[in-house]
Amino acid sequence: MNLEKVIFGFFIVLAMTLNFGFFVGDIDNPNHHHVYELYAAIVVSLIATVLKFGDRTHVGAILLSTSLAADLQLIAAAIMWATLAGTMTDADLITYIVSLSGGALMANIVSVILLIAETISQRR
Amino acid sequence: MDSILFLILRRLRLPINLIIISFAISVLGFTLIPGVDAEGNPWQMSVFDAFYVVSYTATTIGFGEIPYAFNHAQRLWMIFSIFMTVTAWFYAIGRIIALLQDDGLRRAIITNRFANVVQALQEPFYILCSYGESASLLTKALDEKGMRVVVIETLQERIDQLELSNSHNAIPHLCADAKLPENLIRAGILHRFCSGVVTLTDNDEANLAIAVAVKLMAPDLPVLARAERNDIAANMASFGTDHIINPYTLFGEQLVMRVHAIGSFILHEWLTDTPGDQLPPPEYPPRGRWIVCGYGRFGKSVVDNLTREQITTTIIEADPELTGCDNCIVGSGAEARTLLEADIMNATGLVAGTDNDINNLSIVMTAYELNPNLFVVIRKNKRHNGELFKRFNANITMQPTDIIAHECLAHMVTPLLAQFLVLVRSQTNEWSNNLISHLVAIVGENVPETWSIKVSKEETYAISELTARNVIVTLRHLTQDPTNRDEHLALVPLMLSRNNQNTLIPNLDTPLMEGDQILLCATPEAKSALFNTLNNNKTLSYIIDGIDMPNSFVWRWLKSITTKI
Repeated sequence: MNLEKVIFGFFIVLAMTLNFGFFVGDIDNPNHHHVYELYAAIVVSLIATVLKFGDRTHVGAILLSTSLAADLQLIAAAIMWATLAGTMTDADLITYIVSLSGGALMANIVSVILLIAETISQRR
Repeated sequence: MDSILFLILRRLRLPINLIIISFAISVLGFTLIPGVDAEGNPWQMSVFDAFYVVSYTATTIGFGEIPYAFNHAQRLWMIFSIFMTVTAWFYAIGRIIALLQDDGLRRAIITNRFANVVQALQEPFYILCSYGESASLLTKALDEKGMRVVVIETLQERIDQLELSNSHNAIPHLCADAKLPENLIRAGILHRFCSGVVTLTDNDEANLAIAVAVKLMAPDLPVLARAERNDIAANMASFGTDHIINPYTLFGEQLVMRVHAIGSFILHEWLTDTPGDQLPPPEYPPRGRWIVCGYGRFGKSVVDNLTREQITTTIIEADPELTGCDNCIVGSGAEARTLLEADIMNATGLVAGTDNDINNLSIVMTAYELNPNLFVVIRKNKRHNGELFKRFNANITMQPTDIIAHECLAHMVTPLLAQFLVLVRSQTNEWSNNLISHLVAIVGENVPETWSIKVSKEETYAISELTARNVIVTLRHLTQDPTNRDEHLALVPLMLSRNNQNTLIPNLDTPLMEGDQILLCATPEAKSALFNTLNNNKTLSYIIDGIDMPNSFVWRWLKSITTKI
């Protein structure tokens, strides 16, 4: 067992699960989507991205790009929340934010699938 | 470049993660701690506000307590945040700066940039695998002739010299060992425009290693290598090295050329010098008995060549057994006794050819005291002794560096020039003298440009176009001024090569044919004027018949009508 692999896998899976946790619920109901969950998803996603830096294999490159895609959408969601709050109804705003986080969730799922595929192909 | 980016990212993994985590903890704290607004109502900081506050605090900008004044709980958390985030921030900045100053990274960046610059070259270039004295002379001459050069050199101080020198074209350079194949590849030996590799280090083994590496990786690439030892030279030849340059052998040959045919020698020097330079007046070594001090590689070459010219030599050598000299006077030559024993009073020439500069100077000084009329040839070994030799002003100072640079140029400028110089050696001295006076009369006393052209659609569009229409274009047309056909350009065709047959100083009335190669020598102005003649058929036909062809279709049509009438 390798501690580096444990931390690596932990952050990638956590990024996806947090993202999913934020995403589930009615898309237009603000009570189903907590701001801290989005916050945690962003922070964990950023850490996962940095952990993927410097891997020169092909899989490593794709892992990094999926993370970057997830970061982009989550940060876009956070910026919308910060800037548009108060200018439109909560239901409308939360719809935009949750749909963006849904996009990030897809990227995170791809990332986890890649991680699993790589793990299975490893014969040790 | 990719590998460098990844290297940076990998090293920055820890500092960036520290920033993210410390920011995350601080922001979370601020959003959880209850505060009050200006009216005293309970107020909770939003994630965005908290991130804003932490951002300007961590970077030590410090706008203050925004949007409302903090209470004690918030200030307590702020103190904790400051120590945590600012530390993480400075640690990261420190790591980034350390990384930028990292030698390994900087070298990687420089190497990468060099390889990219070489890859981007869009014209023929030569690779020089050293930047010593001869290579720097060569670089200057090639640059002056408008040819591109790439330099690899192991010593940083020489690279610094190269950076400080003035050149017309940028010279890509790398401080690296050219013996390593990957450095040769970076320098572009696999590049489609690479026209040759020149290796002139003063280490025979290094030259051999480079020559072998190039011949294995790019067998068709011409290689010019310096070799002083015969076994190394033979080894290089077995690997197909195109030109092996031995400065000692060359000097021996040149010394004899001076005795035998000074005209050929001057021609040789003149055509292979840096364009625009002026040649110093040549010295004529006298015939008679010569004394050669030192029978090493240099001495042997001089004695062999002088003997071939039926000049008798007396050899002085300190260690006859080591050098394999049967019939010589034992001694260093620096003391009067040995020189007198060699009968210096009745000798005409003296060659001070040991491998020790101070000895050579001492030999010559002693000899001058005994016989002031001696013709003196002195060998210079170390370049830092140059000032001493300049003061001394011997008749001929043998500088390996000059000889090597000239020889390389003869091969590199165009293969035709080397062929021309070989043919010149078999001509009489009178022939050479006539040619020199002819050249000086037309192109002047400064070193001219020498280059070759090939009659083909790509290089000489106009000639091919007109000969295809059965117009006869002769060499004389090339020497006429494209602005006024009655004037002549300062240009002389030196050699015409047709079907592997070389004609020296071809008759100007020779008609040109497709595939002809012509070696030309001219002033730089004439060279640029000729470019117009070769590529513009209007200009060329004006030169041939003196009629300006109309440019546009309408005028050409009108002209054809008027000529019919």
